[in-house]
Amino acid sequence: MTGRLEGKTAFVTGGAGGIGRAICTRFASEGARVVAADLAPWDDPPEGVRAVSYDVTSEDAARDAMERIATHWGQLDVLVNAAGIEIEHSIEETTLEAWNRIFAINVTGTFLTSKHALPLLRKSSAASVINFGSYDGFIADPGLAAYCATKGAVHALTRAMACDHGPEGIRVNAICPGYVDTPMLQSFFEGDGSGGGGGTIESLQKAVRDVHPTRTYGKPEDVANLALWLASDEARYASGQLWVLDGGLTAQVQQMRL
Amino acid sequence: MRCAGQNVVVTGGSRGIGRAIVDAFAAEGARVMTCGRGARPDDLTETVGWVQADMANPADVERLRAETEVAFGPASVLVNNAGVQVEKSVTDSSDADWDLVIGANCRGVFNACRAFLPGMGEESMGGGAIVNIGSISGNAADPGMALYNASKAFVHGLTRSIAVDHGPAVRCNAVSPGWIMTGMADAAFALAGDPDAAKADALARHPVRRFGAPQDIAKAVLWLASDDAAFVTGQCFTVDGGLTAATPLQPGLF
Repeated sequence: MTGRLEGKTAFVTGGAGGIGRAICTRFASEGARVVAADLAPWDDPPEGVRAVSYDVTSEDAARDAMERIATHWGQLDVLVNAAGIEIEHSIEETTLEAWNRIFAINVTGTFLTSKHALPLLRKSSAASVINFGSYDGFIADPGLAAYCATKGAVHALTRAMACDHGPEGIRVNAICPGYVDTPMLQSFFEGDGSGGGGGTIESLQKAVRDVHPTRTYGKPEDVANLALWLASDEARYASGQLWVLDGGLTAQVQQMRL
Repeated sequence: MRCAGQNVVVTGGSRGIGRAIVDAFAAEGARVMTCGRGARPDDLTETVGWVQADMANPADVERLRAETEVAFGPASVLVNNAGVQVEKSVTDSSDADWDLVIGANCRGVFNACRAFLPGMGEESMGGGAIVNIGSISGNAADPGMALYNASKAFVHGLTRSIAVDHGPAVRCNAVSPGWIMTGMADAAFALAGDPDAAKADALARHPVRRFGAPQDIAKAVLWLASDDAAFVTGQCFTVDGGLTAATPLQPGLF
């Protein structure tokens, strides 16, 4: 059987993270050649995935990575900007250093990798860029101010890139996940979070599941399934959109305890 | 007097948000006509006109228009506030529920716009303005309120259509209230297992830490009807104390 990404090449930042790994694995299983780029590279990537060390905040790294892709593949079909971090603070508690760091990774990282990937994406017959927004780019989680702001920026950048590069045959979309079972979410459960409400990790997990209309939070594979569709030619008419994937969480008005 | 010279029709002015809108316009010098399905309320300000009308019925709406014209001439401002709420899912809803909710919330708004739009905002009168009352439930779902949620999304869509089709003579906007303390909201809390706890929980989800008052909505409506909002049309404004700016997770969970 031919894979849905047969013959395509993909570059995934944050490729060793929870969601990044699932995307790389799925892309490779569908026939793509994948580079998983991450600060701490993936030590045992599956077949079809090449792990490289990559710092999204470095323009030199972006230039260098794209030069290598040009040499080996000559073009790039899919770019996934999945690298991201979270800071659990209100703006008052956020230092300038922390603010600059989260913007450097979540926003500037998306900008730099995309900028230097563009010449290679133009050489593809059907290029797709997938950025990572968040439902937090639409509505706020308490105590995540800088994170919310970076995701709002990614949403606007996604639309802008889609406008500018659509005529060049490059589609640009953003996936906006809700709660997904990743190391980032686990550290959110384990950390003191935004209110110190107490309770065990298990009770928090249950409470989070219960607030979803689907009564579950997502798995990285759920996100990878959407990324696969957006990367594939089936999504040829999809561009400039923010795809919320959250188990219905934000489809409801606040769930009061009635 | 911010509303002097305005001829205002407010549907559903017997109580709650509608009454607050009526009172606000009257206090600022507008000539006001309102209506409801029942008899004229005893405590309605004397200068405010009243027509007994079911907005779902085109003949009643035409009578409201004609009586407004007799009382003070063509309306320059129409506020579509009349609405009903049925707390049911799709499978629980009966044909009668459909007729009631869609009749009042959708057809009623359509009837009023169709009746009052012709001639509204002609140069001799200055601009016209329609303000519809939508809901946060038209953007995201309140559980077990299927027809109500859908009817308010209709209102939001019609608001944009009227703005596009009937500008520049008429501006049309919507205000989407959140939890406003009216009879409707009290009834919702009464259904809770522990109404006090439910109320406290709901309060905690409002960044302003209070529920809305009908006057909060009236102030937004007055602004949208005024010349200060001369460049504002086709929009739906959420007035909900910040409720829908936050994620739906339980406060204090983390």
